[in-house]
Amino acid sequence: MAAPTPTPPTSPARRLLGLGPVTPGSAVWYYRRNWLGMVAACIVGAFVIAAIFAPWLTPYAEQGRGVPDLPQRLKGPNGSHWMGTDELGRDVLARVLFGARTALLVAIGVVVLAVVVGVLVGAIAGYFGGWVDEILMRITDTFLAFPPLLLAVIVAAALGASLQNTIVAIAVSWWPWYARQIRAQVLSLRERSYVKAVQAIGVPSHKIIRQHIIPNAMAPVWVQATADLGASILTAAGLSFVGLGPRPPTPDWGVMIADGRQFVLSGQWWIAVFAGAAITILALAFNLCGDVIRDVADPKTRGDQ
Amino acid sequence: MKRFRLIAVLVALTFAAAACGSSDTADGDAGETGGAATDGSFVYAFPFAITDLDPASAFSSENVVLQNVYESLTTFNPPGSAELLSPSLAESWTSNDDATEWTFTLREGVTFHDGTPLNAEAVRASLQRTIDLDLGAAFILLPIESMDVVDDLTITFTLGYPAPLDIVMSSNYGASIMSIDGSTQDAAWFNEGNDAGTGPYTISAFSPNEGTKLSRYDDYWGGWADGQFSEIDIQLVEDPVLAEQMIRAGDADATNNLPFDSYAALAEEESLSVVKGESMQNLFGLLNHERLSPEVREALVLSFPYDEVAENLYGGEATRAQGIIPQAVWGSSTDLDLPETDLDAAAKLLADAGTTDLSVTYSFDAGTTEQQQIGEVWKANLATIGIDLVLEPLTFDARWELAQADPANAQDIFTLFWFPTFVTPYDFMFSLFRSEEAPFFNLGYYSNPAFDDLIDEADALSGTDREAAIELFQQAGQTLIDDNSAVFMLDVPNVNVVQSNVEGYTPNPAYAGVIRFHELSRNE
Repeated sequence: MAAPTPTPPTSPARRLLGLGPVTPGSAVWYYRRNWLGMVAACIVGAFVIAAIFAPWLTPYAEQGRGVPDLPQRLKGPNGSHWMGTDELGRDVLARVLFGARTALLVAIGVVVLAVVVGVLVGAIAGYFGGWVDEILMRITDTFLAFPPLLLAVIVAAALGASLQNTIVAIAVSWWPWYARQIRAQVLSLRERSYVKAVQAIGVPSHKIIRQHIIPNAMAPVWVQATADLGASILTAAGLSFVGLGPRPPTPDWGVMIADGRQFVLSGQWWIAVFAGAAITILALAFNLCGDVIRDVADPKTRGDQ
Repeated sequence: MKRFRLIAVLVALTFAAAACGSSDTADGDAGETGGAATDGSFVYAFPFAITDLDPASAFSSENVVLQNVYESLTTFNPPGSAELLSPSLAESWTSNDDATEWTFTLREGVTFHDGTPLNAEAVRASLQRTIDLDLGAAFILLPIESMDVVDDLTITFTLGYPAPLDIVMSSNYGASIMSIDGSTQDAAWFNEGNDAGTGPYTISAFSPNEGTKLSRYDDYWGGWADGQFSEIDIQLVEDPVLAEQMIRAGDADATNNLPFDSYAALAEEESLSVVKGESMQNLFGLLNHERLSPEVREALVLSFPYDEVAENLYGGEATRAQGIIPQAVWGSSTDLDLPETDLDAAAKLLADAGTTDLSVTYSFDAGTTEQQQIGEVWKANLATIGIDLVLEPLTFDARWELAQADPANAQDIFTLFWFPTFVTPYDFMFSLFRSEEAPFFNLGYYSNPAFDDLIDEADALSGTDREAAIELFQQAGQTLIDDNSAVFMLDVPNVNVVQSNVEGYTPNPAYAGVIRFHELSRNE
């Protein structure tokens, strides 16, 4: 007789969230076994904590929000300014910490907006089919006809430079990908017998889509969305760099690189380098998380790491 | 599909990386267009687009090209010269005692680029064309009532009121002399890249988005010596970082308008010289009189960090502006009653007027580091008194167009650099503050008839009684300050970076940004 599988202990954090123990074979269990995924998750967690607690993590919170201190301008990294000061005398570390708020806000904002629009359009098109599908998908194709970055640049330029507009601009160029993905899912789901059954007993379409179709079609979307967080940080940084991001003095890594790069030639490397490092590390961490989640979600690639 | 999106993001990153990267990128770009090392050619990396090549209407950065292609009757000398003026197309000139009649004798043997000789009729026709078109800097010719061709090389001007016509004729804009054929052409002809000047260079290629190429005019009256440059390439380089990379790599022979923070490091490079000229240019913010109440304008004036900005930005080289007239221009004063930064007083003004939660737009030149830094420092001050300063960077052409369209919906604050058209206080006051029917450069939309009369009177006196004129100009300058017409920020020196092996460059603040390529030569 085989020994009974011991019940793994529930961590305090999971108890706090009202979650049960991690059972072997579950997605979380597989994720935890991937050390790279755990490192990436820790990095993302660190940035989230930095963003939330930025005002308490630095003595220069006002400078992080944009208040200049001209006499201290362009000082290299030192004991009181670990990452040096920028062209207006502000502490670069404080700017980077507050910049994490902007970056995460953009990343989440873009993905949420793109997912909401994409899922709605895709689900409606896939469920109803026919001319509704034709119209919605041709609209989607129109958006897909533009290179995403170019479309984002055009929209951002048309709307004017601000944080909200950056989010809208990137989301506008991204929702069609989600729409197509969810439509493909819905096309197969709507033929399933349980859907046919609820249709037969007269449940209204909007309820079927909301309660039976979308929840079952979302798995690949979540995988995609996690991976897209990193890409949206990069795209937002690109827009900021060319002057289409939030206006100064909003702390923003892309703007910091743009403003700081002119000082690199005269030896004041720290503004652009630390902001660039923050972008690289966070985007990389998001991408790694996305990769691991994709592997975990797909039984074929789950094998032991 | 997914990969496609990743590629787009990678492209964006590469874009960013290329911009922050080494100077290799600049090498690649500039190498093909003829590097600085090529014999006989000179590359000027210039940050502003040149859009109008008609000398009668051009009134912006075009002088960088036009001052090398066209000449005027006289030239204003750099500060420290024994004489105020040098002869140019005129060899000599005289006036009557009350400066209302001027006779100029023209240089002999000068030819236009089309081969026709310079004569009095060409001078008359050129100036008449500028007067008739009434664009750009045509106002400098307002005193002229009639022009009489006495003989082939003599022309007499009769003025409606006294004016220093010899100085007017040295103007940076509006005083260019062109051939008789050129005088019959329209703006389109000039903007196809044609020219009709007498200067040392002719325009050989022109594209507003790329730049202007000049070739030497072999029959130039000033002659040519060995080592002088025969080909000039004025490249449009809007990105100051790229311009700095080009000058460091030797792909440009000269550039200007780099961030002042970079000059200290550039001065240490043996292959470069950083040339600072005396300042006849100043930076100010014109306050929109259609949109801002007197209380808000005063609060803006009181909240500006004058000393903080002067001490810390522009590498400490700029000085606080003493009103609208820069210190190196005659008629300037250090005795005007200037406002001081006083945030408490500004807050009280707003509270008394019941103004709260105000948003004010600050229109400035995209890419000019210092204007943005000033905006950010000012914004921090204004935030403490409840005004949100919204920074709006745009290219100069774009924001100028917006500002001219509809004052009631335009920017609240328009930052502007001004350098003299010809060296007189009247130019600053007339161009920037005299009442205008349609906005041109009076972009604060200021209108004060008493001020208009005062400066007109001062201008009429400047030909005969300089002292009395100065007194009136200073009175007018104080009026502008008392009316909170603008925030007078800084007098800013003009700095050019030139390769050390280029000889002969003397900065002349009367022609800011202009390099007279004919004066230069390469010392190998």
